[in-house]
Amino acid sequence: MAAARRLKRVAASQAGFLTLKSAVDPDDLVSSRRKRVNKNKKKNWNKHSYINDVEDFLEDVRHQERTTGGLLSEKSDDSLFFLDVGQSEKAEQKAPEPVEGRKRRGKAPRPLRIDLILQRDSLVPPPKDVLAYQQPNAKKLRRIAQKAEQLAAKGVVPRRQKRLLNRRPVDRTVKKSAAAANNNPDRNYYDIWEEKVKDSADPWYLKQTCKGPVKRPEKLSQKPSVIPAVEVIAPGGSYNPDFLSHQALLREAHEVEVKKQKQEAKLEKQLAVNREDTATEETNLREQVEGLVEEDDEKIGDEEAAPNEDDEEAAVAAIAVAEKKTEKQRRKEKAEKIKAQRRLASRRQIDQKQQLFQLRSIKTSIKHQEHETETKQIKRKAKQEAQKAQPRRLGKLKFQATDLEVQLSDELAGSLRQLKPEGSILKDRFKSLQKRNIIEPRERAKFKRRLKVKYVEKRAFKEIA
Amino acid sequence: MGGVQKKKFERGSATNYITRNRARKKLMLSLPDFRRLCILKGIYPHEPKHKKKVNKGSTAPRTFYLLKDIRFLLHEPIVGKFREYKIFVRKLKKAYGKTEWSAVERLRENKPTYKLDHIIKERYPSFIDALRDIDDALCMCFLFSTFARTGKCHVQTIQLCRRLTVEWMNYVITARALRKVFISIKGIYYQAEVMGQLITWLVPYQFSHDHPTDVDYRVMATFTEFYTTLLGFVNFRLYHSLNLVYPPKLDGKTESELKDEDEEDYAMSSESYSEKLSALSSSLARVVSPGEEEEAELDQFPADSEDMEKMEAREKEQKQLEAQKKVFEGLKFFLNREVPRESLAFVIRCFGGEVSWDKSVCIGSKYDVTDETITHHIVDRPTVDKQFINRYYIQPQWVYDCINAKILLPVEDYFLGVTLPPHLSPFVEEKDGDYIPPEKLKIMALQRGEKTAQDQEEEDDDEEEGEEDDEEDDDEGDEEEEENEEINLKKMEEQRSKGKSLQVKVTAGKVKTENSARLAQEEKAEEKRLAIMMMKRKEKYLYDKIMFGKKRKVREANKLAAKRKAHDDAEKVKKKKTRK
Repeated sequence: MAAARRLKRVAASQAGFLTLKSAVDPDDLVSSRRKRVNKNKKKNWNKHSYINDVEDFLEDVRHQERTTGGLLSEKSDDSLFFLDVGQSEKAEQKAPEPVEGRKRRGKAPRPLRIDLILQRDSLVPPPKDVLAYQQPNAKKLRRIAQKAEQLAAKGVVPRRQKRLLNRRPVDRTVKKSAAAANNNPDRNYYDIWEEKVKDSADPWYLKQTCKGPVKRPEKLSQKPSVIPAVEVIAPGGSYNPDFLSHQALLREAHEVEVKKQKQEAKLEKQLAVNREDTATEETNLREQVEGLVEEDDEKIGDEEAAPNEDDEEAAVAAIAVAEKKTEKQRRKEKAEKIKAQRRLASRRQIDQKQQLFQLRSIKTSIKHQEHETETKQIKRKAKQEAQKAQPRRLGKLKFQATDLEVQLSDELAGSLRQLKPEGSILKDRFKSLQKRNIIEPRERAKFKRRLKVKYVEKRAFKEIA
Repeated sequence: MGGVQKKKFERGSATNYITRNRARKKLMLSLPDFRRLCILKGIYPHEPKHKKKVNKGSTAPRTFYLLKDIRFLLHEPIVGKFREYKIFVRKLKKAYGKTEWSAVERLRENKPTYKLDHIIKERYPSFIDALRDIDDALCMCFLFSTFARTGKCHVQTIQLCRRLTVEWMNYVITARALRKVFISIKGIYYQAEVMGQLITWLVPYQFSHDHPTDVDYRVMATFTEFYTTLLGFVNFRLYHSLNLVYPPKLDGKTESELKDEDEEDYAMSSESYSEKLSALSSSLARVVSPGEEEEAELDQFPADSEDMEKMEAREKEQKQLEAQKKVFEGLKFFLNREVPRESLAFVIRCFGGEVSWDKSVCIGSKYDVTDETITHHIVDRPTVDKQFINRYYIQPQWVYDCINAKILLPVEDYFLGVTLPPHLSPFVEEKDGDYIPPEKLKIMALQRGEKTAQDQEEEDDDEEEGEEDDEEDDDEGDEEEEENEEINLKKMEEQRSKGKSLQVKVTAGKVKTENSARLAQEEKAEEKRLAIMMMKRKEKYLYDKIMFGKKRKVREANKLAAKRKAHDDAEKVKKKKTRK
């Protein structure tokens, strides 16, 4: 609005204003007859009022302002004209210099044409964006700032800052405890069994929210076996053993070995081919003649089969003969049955009466029975105890004890220096764990090749061969 | 009968057990992880009583766990850590595959780890519980500490094991807790008494490893992981019970001082301190400087005669123990380079001896070979070139035998080049009537302070050692009533087996002194006979049975003794022949 007003003012002040180009042709005006239109309507005001002259004039003003930065008429003569005195020498000298300079620098950074086009070429400064300078709530903020300044002058720290200051500083420099591995050789230990103050949390709360410690099942504190963790080797296993104890150990080892051999022999025996099953000449011959000489056998078979058939027929007849019982028969049977029952009952009664006189023998028999059960119980208990020391069957494989560590008499070293250790302690420990039912005996997983291996002769090899 | 039909395997033992695979699935863990978890938490497989019932009618061999145990495992925080670790490995693999090294580094930095402390506390609610279960831990740590660093297990694990075992040995030395040592063909067995608990462990010989292939190293490593944690905490507690500084510090010198005097040849400066510790040659620093050690004396209670006897026995035992602890006190040992240094140094220091070795053998030697005050020089070779006059040159077995015998044994049997007496197992405890090897009888006699002229006699080729000692031994052990008869029997048996040698020995002088004793004995025997006569038939039967068993035992023992004698004679004859 302000610009328009200014333009109007300019136009008014300059009566004899020369337009650069005359947009309105007088001929045009003459040729076209003016149309008469009612001007009592606003629509028609816009449509039929001719403002081209004013528009053109304003356009011209804008053009001048854009290109020269102001109205030409207002400019001083000095800024518009200059005295032409021909080409100056300086200009000539200056002209080649940039050429050289360009040569020296190589490629000068000439702006792209597109950038040139896009450059602002208007001399009218862009209008000020008012909003950019406005601040929402400026007044309020100013007031707050003033108040804060006043407080700061008094030495009062605002609450927010106080809170920030009170916050514990976070150690950014220290890494998050760098959680050392369990096998770190420099790890530190502490007193884990120290009496600790019990946390005061409500046990009911802890239980309900599953935050409390879980109770370890009682059964887990029992040892799975009664065997001690370290079984000391027999006295014969000394590096310089007593003669007899060494012999005893040797015997033990020998017995184990014999047992093993026996088992092996047994297995072999069972696997061996039975001599009766092997083909001899006789059986071979019989096999070859099979089916050719067998008339005698058949005859005998026929004779035997005949009586069998007779028996069967008789049985069938008996079933067929079984007839319905008569009423009389039934009555008789019933009476007999009742009689037998009575007899039995009376017999029983007599027996019971008789038992009164057998009290002694009954007593002894009961005692005997009790004694027997007791002994059985003891036996069972002993067996269970013995079982506790035995390795259990915990998986596919049975526990297999290692071979006894033994040195033969000629292997024994005379001194500690010459001693050759026997067996592996690692294996001993491993087997001990298995023996004590702590881990189940396992076999090393076998390597299974999924894909077949293809053998190809290398070319280099082929050439030689 | 109405009601819903009962389904099979939905009640009873079938619901109490769970197969391993199902347990694994329930926990959502892989089999190795599951195994690891079970080991760490101390959950063992069980063999059900009725396999068929548990296995839903099938008799296929399976591994079963108790369902309650597995439910308990569900609460374990480590399970989550295992899963995290699985993810970590997956990510790491991926990063490697893509060669994203920065990602690899970042992942490595945030590698998930877990602690076993809470499991220790849970499995061993009190310190004594842990101490009772320390045998396994010690064995495993000693074993792993001798492993070569070849990649069978983590080097760090080996180092940690070494550290813990050294700490343990230092504790045993300071507490003087060692009781028995047995050198076997497998390794060296030690037994210590810590806070009233007998703890046995097995130490392998150095450099004796062949790695067996049929051992699951992963399982063993898991056990070790757990046991190192356990042993560490136990060590801490033990050190504090003795007012020692933990981690252990050497007494008197600070670390920097030590460094100055250190020769750089043995170890890097960072390791030299731990090496010095593991040399076991010097004592440890205490939190409170030790005053005069109070001798813990048994409390005296007024009691009746039976208790008095027990008390006396206990007192005697206590005295013996005290004496044993100081067996090597005041002795100065020097170890030649061919003897097992660590074991000997440990053992000698455990009983108060001073020990040193050549400077080039190991760090931490205290004095030189030329030291005049050395009393015993331990050598394990036939001859030594340069011998000093004022010391004994003995074989290493002497040290071990002295410890087991609880006294200083005569050194003559252990000189260089001498055939050593057998090294007897201290873990065998003979009941009366069992066969006792003559060497042990001799030691027992020495323990009673009966080193007499007999020993000299024996040395010059006379061979009645066994019998004399036998008799003495029998006299000593008569606490029970039946003893007398047994002794008589034994004597008779001996006479039979050894012929007339007994009569030859009897001298006139001794008879007089024994007269009063014999009278008392006779009286006692008479009383006993009467008591036997008064027995009921049932009791008599039992008594006879017991006596028969004892006699049989004695007979067997005598048979063994005769055998031994025959063997010895044969040996002697052989020796003589070879000499000639």
